[in-house]
This record gives sequence, C-alpha cells and structure tokens, in this order.
Amino acid sequence: MVGGRRFGERVLRLYLPLGFFLVAMLFPFYWMAITSIKPNRELYSAKIMPLIVHQPTLQHYVDLLEQTNFLTWTYNTILVAVVTTVVSLVLGAMIAYPLARLNFPGAAVVAIGVAATYLVPQPLLFIPMSDVINRLGLSNTLSAVMLTYPTLLIPFCAWLLMGYFKSVPRELEEAARIDGASRFQAMLRVVLPLCTPGLLSAGIFAFTLAQNEFLYALIFLTKSDVRTVPVGAITELIRGDVFYWGQLMAAALLGSIPVALIYSFFVDYYVASLTAGSVKN
Amino acid sequence: MAVRPASVARPAPVAGRPFALGRAVEREGVFSWLMLVPGILFLLAFVAYPFFYGIFLSLQERRVASAGTFVGLANFAALAQDPVFWQVTRNTFVYTILATLVKMVGGLAMALVINQQFRGRNLARAFLLLPFIVPTVLSTVAWMWILDPTFSVINWSLLHSGLVKENFSWLGNKTLAMVSIIGVNTWRGLPFYGITLLAGLQTISPDLYEAAAIDGASVTQRFRHITLPVLKPVLIIVTMFSVIFTFSDFQLPYVLTHGGPANATHLFATHAFDVGMSAGVLGMGAAEALAMLPALAILIVGLTLYLRRE
Amino acid sequence: MTTRRDFLTVSLVATGAALAPRLAGAAGKATTKSLTTVRESSFIKAFDDYFVKTLAPEYEKLTGIKVGYEAVSVGGMLTRLTTMAETKSGPEIVHTGINWPHLFDQSLVDVSDLAGEVGRKLGGWHEQVQEVVVVNKKWKALPWGNIGQLEVYRTDWFKEVGVTKFPETWEDLLAAGRLLKKKGHPFGFEIGHGFGDNHGWMYPLLWSYGGREVDRDGKTVLIDSSETAKAVDFCRRFYQETMLEDVLGWTDVNNNKAFLGEQISCTNNASSILVVAKRDFPEIAKVTDHALNPNGPKGRYHVLNAQGLGIMTYAPDQAAAKAFLRWLYDDKQMSRWLTAGDAYYAPFLHGYDNHPMWNAEPRYMPYKESLKTSRPHAWPGPVGHAASENVAKYVLVDMFAKACRGDATKDVIATAAAQLKQIYKAK
Repeated sequence: MVGGRRFGERVLRLYLPLGFFLVAMLFPFYWMAITSIKPNRELYSAKIMPLIVHQPTLQHYVDLLEQTNFLTWTYNTILVAVVTTVVSLVLGAMIAYPLARLNFPGAAVVAIGVAATYLVPQPLLFIPMSDVINRLGLSNTLSAVMLTYPTLLIPFCAWLLMGYFKSVPRELEEAARIDGASRFQAMLRVVLPLCTPGLLSAGIFAFTLAQNEFLYALIFLTKSDVRTVPVGAITELIRGDVFYWGQLMAAALLGSIPVALIYSFFVDYYVASLTAGSVKN
Repeated sequence: MAVRPASVARPAPVAGRPFALGRAVEREGVFSWLMLVPGILFLLAFVAYPFFYGIFLSLQERRVASAGTFVGLANFAALAQDPVFWQVTRNTFVYTILATLVKMVGGLAMALVINQQFRGRNLARAFLLLPFIVPTVLSTVAWMWILDPTFSVINWSLLHSGLVKENFSWLGNKTLAMVSIIGVNTWRGLPFYGITLLAGLQTISPDLYEAAAIDGASVTQRFRHITLPVLKPVLIIVTMFSVIFTFSDFQLPYVLTHGGPANATHLFATHAFDVGMSAGVLGMGAAEALAMLPALAILIVGLTLYLRRE
Repeated sequence: MTTRRDFLTVSLVATGAALAPRLAGAAGKATTKSLTTVRESSFIKAFDDYFVKTLAPEYEKLTGIKVGYEAVSVGGMLTRLTTMAETKSGPEIVHTGINWPHLFDQSLVDVSDLAGEVGRKLGGWHEQVQEVVVVNKKWKALPWGNIGQLEVYRTDWFKEVGVTKFPETWEDLLAAGRLLKKKGHPFGFEIGHGFGDNHGWMYPLLWSYGGREVDRDGKTVLIDSSETAKAVDFCRRFYQETMLEDVLGWTDVNNNKAFLGEQISCTNNASSILVVAKRDFPEIAKVTDHALNPNGPKGRYHVLNAQGLGIMTYAPDQAAAKAFLRWLYDDKQMSRWLTAGDAYYAPFLHGYDNHPMWNAEPRYMPYKESLKTSRPHAWPGPVGHAASENVAKYVLVDMFAKACRGDATKDVIATAAAQLKQIYKAK
C-alpha cells in the first residue's frame, strides 16, 4: 500500500508535470522536424493528417547545404557567440564582484548605471551604433557584432552573477584571506568556483542571446558570407511573399544543434558542480 | 536555527582588520574600481555615444536622410496625444505582465520538477532548454505555421477530437492574437526561468531539507521557509531580465503579426521601429523608443535598491 | 573624469577611422575596381542569378570593374537604405521601390541625363512612373519594372458557381464570393500588417469608390467623405460574406500559402502564386488565372510599385556607377534581364510594351495592362515623407480592418482622419 501511494505521489509530482513540460516545449520541434522532411506538395495539403509525414524527403536539407552558405553561417554564429560570451562573462563578473561583495564609493551609481545601460532600447541605438561601426571600419566584419553584443550582455551577466555572488557566505572568503590569499585570489579560487552554476547560467544565456540576435546582425552583416544563421536564413530563404518552409525549418533545427550539444555537455558539468557544492556545504 | 538560508549570514566589516594588507590594491575601494574599469569603459564607448545621439534625435523633427530642426519636447507631446501610442503602451504592459507571470510560475514548477531524481534527468533538462536555444526568428516562423488557421495542427487536433466545431483564428482575432504572442513568448522564455531557478535550487543543501523534515515541517512549509528564501535573489534577477526582454521584444511580434490585426499586438519596439525605420520619422521613432525607458527604469531602480538592501 | 577622457579617446579614434577610408578613396579614384549593388532579393530567383552569374561577369570582362550584388530580404530594403543614407556608407548602387526616390532625395544622385538617354532609345517612359522617380524635376532612379498587385483566382471553382469570366465590379465579385464561401472556397484578401498585399487592394478599393485620403496639396485631408464610407461599408460586407476571420491577422505570406493549400479561391497578389504553382503544384497552376482589380463606381485602379536603381551621393566614383547603369539599361542587357525575370516586372518603357517576354505566358498580361491605371500609395497626396509615414502606420489598412471587425463606419473614418491630420500636419 505504502509503495502504491508513493508511486501515485511520484506520478503526480514528477511524471505528470514532466510529461506536460516535455510535450509543450518539444511539440514545436516535432513540427519543425516533420516540416523539414515533408515534400512541398504535402506541406501545403490541408486535407491529409498533418502530424505525420507520408513521403519523407531530405531534399530541403540538401538544398539548404548546397544552395546556401549555411555551414559558413553556422561557423560565424558559433565564433561570434563564443567570443561574445567570453568577453561578456569576464567583464560582467568583474563588474558584479565588487558590486555584490564589496563596499566602495560610488557603488550605487555604478549599479544603477549598469542597469540603465541595459535598458537603452535597441531601436534607439542602431542608427548611431551603425555609425560607430562604420567609422571604425568594421561594417561587414564579425567584429561588428562581437563588439555590439556585449553592450547587451555585460550588464545582463553582471546582474545575474550578482545574485549568485551574494549567496556565497563571506566567511569562506575571509578564511582564505586569513590564509594569506589576496582579494583577487580569494575571488578566483573561492567565490567563483562556488558560483559555477551561476556562471554557467549566465554563459548559456549570453551564448543563446548572441547566436540569436537579429537586429544588429541584420544591419551590420549584409554580405552572405559574414552572416549568422538567423539573418542568413531569413534573408535567403524568404523570397518576397514565398517562404521556403522546409529549408527554414531545416535551418532552425540544424542551427540549434551546436548549441544543444554544447549545452548537453554542460549539463553534466552542472550536476558535477552541484554534488561537489553540496558536499562542501 | 538550522533552516536559515546561507545568504543571510553576515560577516564582520572587513576594513578594520589588522592583517588587511597595506598594499593599495587590497583596499576595498581601489580593488573594486580596478575590477570595474574595463567593463565600464567598454559600455561607455559603445552605448554612451549612441544613447546620447538617440536623445538628440528625439528632440528634433527629423526625417530620414534630411536635415532636422530642433523642436524640444514636441515629439513627446505628439506621442501623448496619439491614441495608437497609448494602445501600444497598453499592449506592451499586458504582454509583459502576463507573459512574465506565466513564465515565473511555470518556470518555478519546471525547476522543481527537474530537480527531482529520475532516470534520464540530464537528457530531459537538455531537451527542455531547446525552445530557448533555437534562433527566435526561425522558431517564430514555425509558430506562424502552427498557428495558421487553415493548416494549424492545433486547430486540426481540436476539430478532429471534436472539442470545437470551428477553427480558431489564432492571429486574426485581436484577443487571440495577443494570447498567441504571449503563448509563444512563454514557450521561448520558460526554459530560461526553469534552468536558472534550477541552478538556484541546487545551492540549497539537502541537509537543510532533512533537518526540516526531522523537525516535522510539511512540504509546503519547507518550500516557503527553505526554498523560496534561497531562490528569492535569483528569482528577482531572472524576473527583472525577463521583464526587460519581454518589454522590448521585437523579433517575435514582428515576424508573427507585425502588430496586426489593427495594432492589437504592436509593442513599443515594433512600433518604434516602424515609425523610425519604415516611416522614416527618425525623431519620433527615437522619442517613442525613449518612452520605454521610464516604465522600465522605475522597475529597475526599485529592484536595485531592494537588492542592495539585502 | 574617466567619462570625459573616454569620450575624447573615442571621438579621436572615430575621426581617424573616418578619415582613413576617405583619403584612400580619393587616391584610388582614378581606377575604380569595383562597384556594389544592393537589391531586395527578387521573388524570381533567376532574376538575381542572371545578374550575378551573367551580367556582372560580362561587365567585368568588358571594363575590368567587378560588380557585386548584396541581397536584402523583402521588407528589409528600406531599413538598409535608411542606415546607408544615415551613415553615408555602403553600396553605391541601390534599389528603390514605392516612394523611396522622394524619401531619399538628398542621398540620391540626379540621373536625369541617363533617364533621358534610355527613354530616347527605348520609346520613352510611361507617364505615371515619373511621379515616383522624378523629384523636383530631377530623376533620382531608373525604374526597371513594376510589381503589380492583381486579382489571383481559381478558374475551376469560379466556374462551379457559374462565373466563367472574372467579375467586372466589386459588387459582382462579392456576389461570386458569397456563393464560393458557401461552397467552402472563401476569399482571402490580406487585412493585416503585411508589407504589400494589404495596400495592394485597399487603395484600389478606396479609389474606385471615389475615396481619397488627402488632396494633391498634401494639406487637405479628404478621407471623411461619403465615398470613403461606401468603400468601408463594402469592405465590411466583402470581408464578412466572403472571407475568414483570419485574414485580419495575415501578413504577405499567408495568402500565398492559403491559395496553394487550396483554402481560398481568390486573393490579391503579385504573380508569385502562379510562378510557385507552376513549379510545385502543376494542377493548381492549370486552374489559376489573373485579373485586373474590379471596377468601382468611380473607376478601376491598381497600386504602383516601381522598382528602380539609383546612385548614392556618397559613391566615391559616381561616373563609374553611371557608366554601369548606362550599360545595364541598354536594350542588349535590360531585355535579357527582364526576360530572366519571367515577366514578374512590368517595364515602364514604351519600347517594351510588346516585348517578347509577355508572349511566354499570356496570363501575366494583366500585370502589363494594369500599369495604365496604377497610382502610387497615398495618391493623390504628395509622394514624400508623409506618405511613407501614412503607409508605415497602416492608417488605411487599420481603418478597413476595424470596420471588418465590426466597428462603426463613422468611427473608423474619424480615427483615420485624425491620424492623417497629424501625419500631414493639416488643419
């Protein structure tokens, strides 16, 4: 009886909600996947059952890889996202640390200033921003977006990390300092490792936003071979009022695979850091 | 008390310690500023000029590719009289508040679910993050198709299961169109909440729960007294960012409805973009973009003060 | 302190960077090695390909000048043009549509001399196109063709309800649509916020009932009239009796999709539906045809969307850009290019009125015919900045959309009138 009740409780608390989340989150991917392997004729037919594919084809993938610069876009996207994420995490952590853990003159001003930076709306920025990029001679180079994305991401990383930095007990840092560590060492060896989940969260988020960004990439990257996946796909797979649905969906799926892989790698890391963390506590 | 969250522990002030090194770098203020300078310089270089230029634009009657004239606050005055501007404001608030609430509650639920022990947990976590990973423009294109009434699988399923008699017009009806864009935004943003809160949950030591369980605390009590206090700082930060993102959302409504039907889904960002870029009224577009600031600023300043008090 | 020093450094760096390319440009002026053209990607892929793979290499062989092509997605050209004009940098030769020559008047080079030459050689320009490309008596772009918006319909379904010829008037079309909707073949005209398929039929509808938004002077708002009211009342019935609710939220892609998915029997669109049908859905292509927009009590109208090329004033070597356009608009090249475009673009040169490209597919002929009754957006109001604002704010579209949704005619007209007065700064 007890086992039965516990199982019932587990269904209610775990399997049911988990099933709901999985279906709700993943259905659109199922849809993208089947759309990407449906021949056009089937895609447009409203008469047949839409949830299965009757005559699957890989033609859309072949077209995507052969007729567009998709692989170059993917490479560009990853390069941009990695550089941007690293820059934003490092600079963001350097801003977050003093704000979260130290008292210094001007702290409130800096905190509000950094947040305010984040608030500046993109539609306001991009004409003057493109002027800056243009004056620096960076139009149509990946550096253009590598320099502009951190403007969005540094404040974000800083703010997210502040929450995590605050949650580390100060005694740990104090102990390290008593042992002769400098402030910098204490931060690097004591606080940062404890905040690994936070760093990962911020990193994943920054990475995702960077590979996702559309407006700046659209304005600054106007040549096919320097484009990122979102801009490349939208620009070259939509012709007038005709969408190349199959190829667009193929691009969406292939475009998210690298990130999904990177992330699934980090999930393990995440859990490892969790076990390590709870042992320490 | 064993239940007290770790973050509440307060250290003694650092300044007066005898072993604080005389070296300047080790002084709190100096060290702080050394750390801050690179990031702040970067932000100043890339945001300050564009930002002030934007303000400068908003004070002019300035059409694209032609000279402007200074008009003071006339653009803002004109906006205040424009019913479409107020409709856009209302839309943006409805969109932001509803989407944020759903994401907050749903994300917390998701975090609690995937924080439990079960087989295939890592895989489930990785899969649940997918909506957040896939490029927004492309997933929105997929949603366009999912929500299309004639081809919609949602409608197809509802019709064939006999639940409804007629197709819903997901993007043609003004209320449903708002519901749809909120739904898609939630779909996209929920995993971010879920995974970030999960990270927060993982900073809670299982010992705390055990101790509380031994003391006879119920599940609800444990959630209220252990989980929530620890999650609070992370929850606030995540919410703040989610609010900012949702408030200034562009790609999603732009691709899905472009503000239609009849402006029912126009948000600040899409409308300001249309006014500035499509209509070529740069001054007014900048003014409208700037109008986003006060609402957000109040929120941010509030949260900042709250956080620094913690 | 930090702030100020930082500002100084940034502006110094910026100035230096800004000067460098200009100096380099001046030095290299004598030998222009390359030009770049930016164009919205054509719906007809072959049109873009012909430019990149045939025309550009030919020109390079002839002159040694490389001509690049930068593609911009549809709906993105105006943004690109805005950034280019504002930052004074980018490709030298640019694509113009709608009313952009007026909008970017100060950024575009006078090409009247070229227009004159081309016109003399090819039978002269159509009168009505000059309204959109000639600004203060100066040609700011050379149009290569119009993208027409016409009625696209299913001949088989129309026959089923006894309509063998496309209805001549809006009322007759409504009558046919009523029958077709009962048969499960509704109409699908875009009433949402797309780029073109909404204004493509709403302006003609308004005009053909005698309604006008604003007068020629650009100061007198005319929208509040009994003619507009008639058009609005018609539109409401047209929507309620022939269409689905969803058209209120459509963007340009939806009607193509619905037509090819055999969901609708009639829409207003460019010829893209038939072109795709021929490629992917041959049996739908067989029963698809085009027709001019219906007549209203005050005539028949179409929307003018002249596609052209212009030269930006910041181009370091305007003469080279002009030389290229002179070559491109020569019959030897232009004729082949238009043919590659599969009659998607209707040229504005009388010399091309009977161009062989029209013979390949007689069903495209209405697009040529429609030129005579085509007017620019917001006509008869001036074609400048206010017209752009008017179109981008969807004043007309939303007026009709709200009426379709059930709002009272006088209310939707009053709202539109208030918006137009603000936009045109009228009393």
